[in-house]
Amino acid sequence: MKRETTGCQIRDANDERRQTSDDRPNASDGLYMHEQVKDILDRVRSEPPNILQSLLALQEQLGHVAADMVPVIAKSLGVTTAEVAGVLSYYPDLRFSAPGRHIIRVCMGESCYANGCGRVLRHLQERLRADVHETMPGGRFTLDTMSCAGNCAVSPTVIVDRDLYGRVLPSQLDRMLEGYK
Amino acid sequence: MAIRLYLSDDTSARAAGAAALADAWSDRPDVQIIRTSSRGAFYLEPMVERDGPDGRIAWFNVSPQDLPAILSGTGGTPVQTIPFLAQQTRYTFANFGETEPLALDEYQARGGLSGLEAAFRLTPDAIIDELRVSQLRGRGGAAFPVWNKWKVAQQAKGAQKYVVANADEGDAGTYCDRMILEGDPFRLLEGMLICARAIGAGRGYVYCRQEYPAAAARLRAAIHKADEAELLELNGEPFPIEVVEGAGSYVCGEETALLESLEGKRGVVRARPPYPAQSGLYGCPTIVSNVLTFATIPQILSRGGSWHASLGTEHSRGTMVLQLGGRVKHPGLVEVPFGLSLHQVLEQFGGGMAPGSRFKAVQVGGPLGSLFPTTGLDMPICYDAFAKAGAVLGHGGIVVYDHETDMVDLARHFMAFTADESCGKCTPCRIGSVRGREILERIQAGSGTMDDLRLLDDLGETMKLASLCALGGRAPYPVLTAIEHFPAEFRSKLRA
Ligand SMILES: Cc1cc2nc3c(=O)[nH]c(=O)nc-3n(C[C@H](O)[C@H](O)[C@H](O)COP(=O)(O)O)c2cc1C
Ligand code: FES
Repeated sequence: MKRETTGCQIRDANDERRQTSDDRPNASDGLYMHEQVKDILDRVRSEPPNILQSLLALQEQLGHVAADMVPVIAKSLGVTTAEVAGVLSYYPDLRFSAPGRHIIRVCMGESCYANGCGRVLRHLQERLRADVHETMPGGRFTLDTMSCAGNCAVSPTVIVDRDLYGRVLPSQLDRMLEGYK
Repeated sequence: MAIRLYLSDDTSARAAGAAALADAWSDRPDVQIIRTSSRGAFYLEPMVERDGPDGRIAWFNVSPQDLPAILSGTGGTPVQTIPFLAQQTRYTFANFGETEPLALDEYQARGGLSGLEAAFRLTPDAIIDELRVSQLRGRGGAAFPVWNKWKVAQQAKGAQKYVVANADEGDAGTYCDRMILEGDPFRLLEGMLICARAIGAGRGYVYCRQEYPAAAARLRAAIHKADEAELLELNGEPFPIEVVEGAGSYVCGEETALLESLEGKRGVVRARPPYPAQSGLYGCPTIVSNVLTFATIPQILSRGGSWHASLGTEHSRGTMVLQLGGRVKHPGLVEVPFGLSLHQVLEQFGGGMAPGSRFKAVQVGGPLGSLFPTTGLDMPICYDAFAKAGAVLGHGGIVVYDHETDMVDLARHFMAFTADESCGKCTPCRIGSVRGREILERIQAGSGTMDDLRLLDDLGETMKLASLCALGGRAPYPVLTAIEHFPAEFRSKLRA
């Protein structure tokens, strides 16, 4: 279960707040969000509705699922806001807020633990000046952990966006990060 | 003519450098690169192979500038003579390193689909009987007899029945399901089809963890190919199989939480009974089995249940797929009949310790598995011996810790994991894991007392006895075995 379940506050869907972090035109417009959410949900609609897959589809398109969207999502799926908020707050991979431009995940599984993932994580925390689950100043990287990438025989493992790195040494990290602007 | 070079397309092989090799050599007109599955000898990856007079010749830990030597054929090793591989008994993993994952014709040429053909010649009852004879037990962790579950699902009434492959592979230190999904996906589909025929299911799902994007993509491609070849049919009716991805929750590997998640809800554990075989997905009879379990089934049908029962030990028949990780010299996948000792596995296959490391402890069975010190290494790898010692084989993960490991920190790491991953439904796990973590943090900070160690013991007993599922029920084991085998380390941190 994910740790910070308090971040999910339900607000009115027409709230004129920024809904996404990107600079798409009108992204901050509540009505526009309404349409966009419905569009995305239409593409994954199923009977009975699948809340998790709907939220994953939204996150895939929008980068995160803001708590403001919950009422619109609930209405569109025909379920309660509590059900949507419950799923949104449960899964570690669902995000309420926009992450940085790149997401770094350090594996903390046992094989990586035995092979020094602690040193890798500490190095990244210092370099990025960000703690786990935080985004570094300037928004270039969000630092995260995970528990096993299935790369245990080539550990320790670090994943940046969709790129997986194995046998990672702290001394290689700076060069590795240079590839992500 | 261009020379054929075989290079693995497995995620770990790519991470070890296979991706860089493929990039570096992609525009060479004198080489033709074939991307295969991985043999699982990951300490040798990236490994490059070519055809030799008596099978493949391999080059190990290759870098781009090794190409001239490979092309001139100097310095290679015949694959058959690599001890790590030669000493294994590979059935489920026989194709690994040999075939292209999505080549259905190669799969078939090497005996693929003959299990399904055998199943078509048998009645559903006879299929289940073959599994009873095989004595196959589930490989996902609980080791329940497979035939028994199938019988229940077959006899249960439902408007629909489902077959669900558990590809959540959450146990850290395990990767054999990932290798099957990426490297031999038709074997999983064949096993699911056999199950569907036996229980009369009309639909299949593969619940794949989000951490395995390459596996999900490969499996979707394999489903598409199988569909084109009209394989996804039973009794003239379509048998669609869909890949559904999870969202990073460990407990969603537990079968009832998995079903909740598949329905799109919070992945919270359901109280059992009813078992999924009676009432599972959307309340219908459902078989939830591990990927490796399904992948083992085709050969049981094609070779016969008694063939499978002839391998292994009395209560653990067949082969076990072990996955070595941590500080061993040779991390990788090992398929052997049950019965070898832990020591044999670590020496014969693991090759001893990684350079500069001294053995401290080994953990078997994932984050909920027990720790064994040097004195515990004569333990035979089979379900009954492990059960007798209060340990589990789980999904076959074996992680070795070296002399630098701080056992107090490791114990805290385990409890913190459970506290993070608890679904929250039952109190012993939800509250117990948090209290357990707090106690261990206190000891780590130097303010713990003897009473804290006693409290941990007491808390562990409560969690073992009263948790709803094995997450809370097994969580105390790695912690308590750490204290049992390394008491001095814990005591030295206590407040005087
Ligand atoms: C906390 C927890 C996590 C589990 N994770 C997995 C998993 O990732 N993969 C798996 O196959 N089984 C997992 N299981 C076991 C399943 O509940 C179930 O027993 C298994 O999928 C049945 O398949 P089998 O009969 O083929 O072993 C887990 C169990 C628990 C309690
Ligand atoms: S433990 Fe890190 S990849 Fe498995």
